[in-house]
Amino acid sequence: MKKFSIILITLFVLVLLSIGGAQEKPKITIWAWDPNFNIPIMQEAAQRYKKINPNVDFDIVSMAKADVEQKLNTVLASGVKTNLPEIVLIEDYNAQKYLTSYPGAFADLTNHFNYKEFAPYKVQLMTVKGRVYGVPFDSGVTGWFYRRDYFKQAGLDPAKLQNITWEKFIEIGRTLKQKTGKYMISGDPFDGGLMRILLHSAGSWYFDKDGNITISNNEVLKEAVKLYKTLRDSGISKEVSGWNEWVASFNSGEVASVITGVWIIGSIKAAKDQSGKWGVLPIPRLNVPGAVNASNLGGSSWYVLQNSRYRDVAIDFLKQIYAKDVDFYQKILIERGAVGTWLPAQRGSAYTAADPFFGNQKVFTYFSTWMKKVPAINFGLYTYEADAAIMGVMPDVYNGKLTIDEALKKAEEQLKNTIGK
Amino acid sequence: MKITYKRYLDLWGWLFVIFALFLLTLFLLYPIFYSLYLSTFTTRGIVQTFVGFGNYLRLIKDSNFILALKNTLIILIIQVPIMLFLALILAVILNNQKIKFNGFFRTAIFLPAVTSLVAYTVLFKMMFTTDGLINRFLISLGLISKPIPWLLDPFWAKVTLIFALTWRWTGYNMIFYLAGLQNIPTEIYEAAEIDGANKSVQFFKITIPLLKPIIIFTSIMSTIGTLQLFDEPMNLAAGVVTGSSVGPGNSLLTPSVYIYNICFKYAPNFGYASAVSYILVLIVAILSFIQLRTVGERE
Repeated sequence: MKKFSIILITLFVLVLLSIGGAQEKPKITIWAWDPNFNIPIMQEAAQRYKKINPNVDFDIVSMAKADVEQKLNTVLASGVKTNLPEIVLIEDYNAQKYLTSYPGAFADLTNHFNYKEFAPYKVQLMTVKGRVYGVPFDSGVTGWFYRRDYFKQAGLDPAKLQNITWEKFIEIGRTLKQKTGKYMISGDPFDGGLMRILLHSAGSWYFDKDGNITISNNEVLKEAVKLYKTLRDSGISKEVSGWNEWVASFNSGEVASVITGVWIIGSIKAAKDQSGKWGVLPIPRLNVPGAVNASNLGGSSWYVLQNSRYRDVAIDFLKQIYAKDVDFYQKILIERGAVGTWLPAQRGSAYTAADPFFGNQKVFTYFSTWMKKVPAINFGLYTYEADAAIMGVMPDVYNGKLTIDEALKKAEEQLKNTIGK
Repeated sequence: MKITYKRYLDLWGWLFVIFALFLLTLFLLYPIFYSLYLSTFTTRGIVQTFVGFGNYLRLIKDSNFILALKNTLIILIIQVPIMLFLALILAVILNNQKIKFNGFFRTAIFLPAVTSLVAYTVLFKMMFTTDGLINRFLISLGLISKPIPWLLDPFWAKVTLIFALTWRWTGYNMIFYLAGLQNIPTEIYEAAEIDGANKSVQFFKITIPLLKPIIIFTSIMSTIGTLQLFDEPMNLAAGVVTGSSVGPGNSLLTPSVYIYNICFKYAPNFGYASAVSYILVLIVAILSFIQLRTVGERE
């Protein structure tokens, strides 16, 4: 009996403790994936918010990107409402997919933020039926990073390479290869990254505004596929497979330029001995009407879970830091190379500073100008499916077994199969 | 009959198995039946629509699924026989007690089977890059003049996968054969030798027939393993920025990778993924049955 009462008392105390615990500080749980990028940025944001509202705890969980997606999918699909994180990071290409696959799961933030202050293309991709569901975070605005020394050696004047077309790019690539023996760019001929850059720069995608497939009848896509083939045949591209080999190709100095999202700066700067040798130019444009010399690749945004416990605190946190703190955006730009999409931040000092690594060029001033030029498009729900379908027919395009028209028709069939339409 | 019936009612018996039975139902039977139920819906996240057999009809026409099966079949037909034959030869050689450091070789060949699937695949991906170890080695030997595009060509990507799989699984199968060889009495070989049978005759007329049950076992296990291939193609195909296709031109797409993509990479369609899984199980069952029937003993 004595034992029993001891157990009873212990239980009672435990219950009391847990009730007491529940009334304690709200804890905001955040899921994100990059320990060199969005995790430390969120930690910085949390530090800053604690100064405004000390009565909050943060639990910033770092997982692999695929794991975040897998976990989010399974938790939301199972319908449980406990143990949800307050805030989750979602890649922009996936935003529409999650928002429409799990209606009601994400908090409607339309009335909480002034979305006119964010880059328009970022707001567009998180809007469903006129309601906005996220807080735009980093931009994947693209640039053409080039080696000043190699270009000079090949007699190329960067001033004359502003706003050129891809034809010109290949032409100067040949010159450069002839004179310096270096490859112009590097890439995986079966990766859809460049494809996304090309399409987005012309305001086009695999789908139209209403989400209908536009593949076989898409002139921009035809040009883009043609460019993939030309690029491969021209021999100016060093072919690599996988991220590490790609980064190694420009860190080792084998390649004279890189065309991709601004987030690559961290990797380019990893080769410290190349300081001062790099520069940035606007990306080439496709020879189609409406194409611009600016585009976007990747980028992600924060979303708040509707059924999470401390939803309102989480929203306030995002509001106070991500839509108010100009200084925060300067810090993450300098420390992490994160180009935010909250436009008022771009008047800050870090955006106008000259970078010695890039030959004292004010790179971020350029990037923020280009960011505003990126066309706003609807990514739709099936970007990855479309990528897979297109890249699936690329071998036949490369070896000439199929013409581009035939290949795109085949890709469209395949895509319809994948998404069941 | 009476005894079994009595046993059936025995309360203690039930008490002993009830816990295991409960877990089995919860974690095995329930998911099996629930996924069958789920396969009659097409889902996008929590948005469900009942389609009956629609998913299965869609599957027959799904060029991605057919491609995944084709890829797997090619690997199955080429890789499994090579691997099993290699394992058999190695087992026979290492079964010979006269060989020095025989234990060392056995361990060395078995060791790959202990490594993590992801780790070894990542390692292979590094070795088989265009500037990688393998290409440099082959060029320095003068065997090739230009680097082979191992992971940048649909054909070579499959070859790389086959190399990787063979490296990882040969030792594993060899152990089964070694165990089987220990059970063959040495008297049979002695008798055969006296009758004038040379080594190769002994191998084909004694070793293979007596190892038949184990050969069948390993071939069925390898078939199932190949059809469920996931880690290797997934990691070999990890792309630059987007990881658009599974290997060049989807040449490494397997049914399991496809199921994963349908659930987690594409718009989440758990219903369709369940249907694909069911068809995969059916194919495994049919192939195993055929193997048992054609190579197997009649009894």
